[in-house]
Amino acid sequence: MIYILYFIFYGFLLTAIIGLLASWVDRKVTARVQYRVGPPILQPLIDIVKLLGKETLIPRGASRATFLMAPVAGLTSVILVATLLWINNLGSGDTFLGDLIVVLYLLTIPSISIIMGGFASRNPLASLGASREMKLILGYELPFVLAVFVPVIKSGFSIRLAEILAYQTQNGAITGSLSGTLALVVAVFCVQAKLALVPFDIPEAETEIVSGPLVEYSGSALGIYRLMKNMLLFTLPFFLAIIFMGGLRSDGLHLLNGLLKVVGLVALITVIRNTNPRVRIDQAVRFFWGPLTIIAAAAVLLALKGL
Amino acid sequence: MQFFRFDNLSNFVGIFIGIFSLLIIFYSSAFMRGRKGLWRYYSYLVLTLLSSLGAVFSNNLILFMVFWGFLGLLLYLLIGFGQKENTLYTAKKTFIIIGAADALMILGLAFVGQLTGTLQMDKISIALTSKPAVWAYLCFAAGAFAKAGAMPLHTWIPDTAEDAPTPVTAYLPASLDKLLGIYFLARISLDLFQMNSAMNTLLMAVGSFTIVAAVMMALIQHDLKRLLGYHAVSQVGYMVLGIGTGNPIGIAGGLFHMLNNAVYKSCLFLSGGAVEKKSGTTNLDNLGGFVKFMPITFVSFLIASLAISGVPPFNGFASKWLVYQGIIKTASNGGYLWIVWLVAALFGSALTLASFMKLVHTVFLGQTSSQVRDQKLLPLGKETSPAIWMPSAFLALLCIIFGVFAYRMPLGAFIVPSIGQSVEFLGIWNVNLATALLLAGIIIGIAIYLAGRVTEARETEVFVGGELTDEHPDMRVSGVSFYNTIQEIGFLRGLYKKALRRAFDPYEIGRTITFGFTRILRYIHNGVLSTYLAWCLLGMIVLFYVLLR
Repeated sequence: MIYILYFIFYGFLLTAIIGLLASWVDRKVTARVQYRVGPPILQPLIDIVKLLGKETLIPRGASRATFLMAPVAGLTSVILVATLLWINNLGSGDTFLGDLIVVLYLLTIPSISIIMGGFASRNPLASLGASREMKLILGYELPFVLAVFVPVIKSGFSIRLAEILAYQTQNGAITGSLSGTLALVVAVFCVQAKLALVPFDIPEAETEIVSGPLVEYSGSALGIYRLMKNMLLFTLPFFLAIIFMGGLRSDGLHLLNGLLKVVGLVALITVIRNTNPRVRIDQAVRFFWGPLTIIAAAAVLLALKGL
Repeated sequence: MQFFRFDNLSNFVGIFIGIFSLLIIFYSSAFMRGRKGLWRYYSYLVLTLLSSLGAVFSNNLILFMVFWGFLGLLLYLLIGFGQKENTLYTAKKTFIIIGAADALMILGLAFVGQLTGTLQMDKISIALTSKPAVWAYLCFAAGAFAKAGAMPLHTWIPDTAEDAPTPVTAYLPASLDKLLGIYFLARISLDLFQMNSAMNTLLMAVGSFTIVAAVMMALIQHDLKRLLGYHAVSQVGYMVLGIGTGNPIGIAGGLFHMLNNAVYKSCLFLSGGAVEKKSGTTNLDNLGGFVKFMPITFVSFLIASLAISGVPPFNGFASKWLVYQGIIKTASNGGYLWIVWLVAALFGSALTLASFMKLVHTVFLGQTSSQVRDQKLLPLGKETSPAIWMPSAFLALLCIIFGVFAYRMPLGAFIVPSIGQSVEFLGIWNVNLATALLLAGIIIGIAIYLAGRVTEARETEVFVGGELTDEHPDMRVSGVSFYNTIQEIGFLRGLYKKALRRAFDPYEIGRTITFGFTRILRYIHNGVLSTYLAWCLLGMIVLFYVLLR
């Protein structure tokens, strides 16, 4: 029962609040880069509340259940990952729920939910966008897996998040080493693609295929997708902060330090998305399978050598 | 002399052989209705069941080989019930590949007899130190690989999947052959031989290569059943990889994956067969929008697809997770290769997901193809007969049960006892809690919907650029060409071209070599009497020279 409370408070409410704030940071930084003022701090929340009040339209001939449940599945998995990360990070039980591999797999479910939603829309643009999303997953999965295993190697082949964190508390953050830095760079690019932000916003490409998989979504369903994306904007950097930077700690100055890491990662992602043009899908896949995989493999080799 | 043995491993495999046989016979009663020679078909099915049980429970290698060889013959006969153009060629090809591997196994049997002097399986325990021992193991492993379909002896599986009747494919290559092949691989690796690290590395290399190469081929297929056939190959990789790790957790993962694969792969083939029955085709270009016609089949297919792609909390994830831990455990032996196996397995999982997303889109979701629309598969929403959707729905349910109750049901009851060692987990996966939380999350999602105005949702037409998509069939995006971009990338282009020309098929290579020889012989045997006389004379001269020298 206590876990349900964790799930609702840490996984859902806290993550949603921080996610909406992260989304505000993202929009504010974007605005400043473009010499605009930017939205007020409550704007992301207002957007979602507004969407809940709008009418939901369902494309004719589509599978209603698939169309409406796809966003829910995505949101659920994000909440689950967030709960897992929070509880493991706060250390109130070092055998909670799942390990690194579980997190890796749970993190693909939001993408699957977007793909399924796009497929269920019966719109050619949605199908195109969803297929691009799938190809993007194929692209980034290879370097991402390699990069994520650098902390595993460093911490003596442990895949438990609590043990990776404990290793970092004793020996300093994994980014401190050469292999850790390389792996973090690779992972940040992969997270950029996971969030489908420029230069890897190919699946949604608004100017080209009109938000791709989301083209037929409106009202509450779109609101849930929006919430899911905002929560991911915090959850993914949080995951990187845990495995590469020693996570968040709740005592005194460390809390500030931990928050700075996450905000720094979000700001970095925002800056990347504001200073790059969109690439084509084949260019993206080549980029991930070529240079990034080589860097990630080098990082893994260095980590095995102990660097 | 004890001819049969019932231990935990063989009991476990035997039970599931029985379950799958029942399901397939039930399914066939609807699927094969109205075809000729049905009494032969059913007697072959029952004979397959009996000889599989015989092979699993036999304790004598010769007895085992008799049952095993008989299975190859039955497979050949069952494929013959297909109604495709290439069915006979495929049946012959299958028979030759399986037969050749069986011949290798007999050779291995001879080696074993030579080495130990006994053919009782429970008395054999050979260390892989001498050359004959290594050869014996390799011969046996080749037989297991051909049966289960690991690379490079897999090439019969995609062809069989395309050309054989669907229940046969779901029965043999998808479930029984996997159970038997991996059972035998486990038997030789755990009991008959004492593995060393070199042999384990070989197994892991074969496994990883099989996973990635087969699934890359699956990505680009145009035929529903052929695509599934490539997955039947790719999944073997995880089982071989698991057994190759040589530690209890990896072996448990391999065996668990064998069971899971049999469950979801038969489910996929059976649902695919339902689509085939309804539409009369398995060509992906002509399918689409079937979710409206067959919702139950869609749900079963979706669950099985997610399970095979390793999405938690379904069963595929549980077994893959064990295999990964097995691989990570080998890391402490030193060496760099483990990371290659691990990445191949994890990446193969993403590729699997990709090809199943393609199938889900092309067959069930997406827009209806003009062929389907013209055929008027009405009345809408009418499923095929219960005998066709019930087996796949049951298997889909098993995917969930084996995933959610992984520790209690399959692992605790069947798999861990059959390894005989305690399994120690490296990671954490509290699947009961995760499922409960997932349900809680779905409730949160529905609550958000109810807070909004979802009850007033209305249906609208789908537009692109102001045009109704349903009135313009050319606006349909079929999923068939989703991954053409991947096919065109760098070195993959050349590899794909070669693979599509079957340059990597040992059967085709063997055929080319054999026909090369016969061409020379044919040149000599030209039927001209004087040439033959000249050959006789030449032979006599050589003979005289040798004898009278």
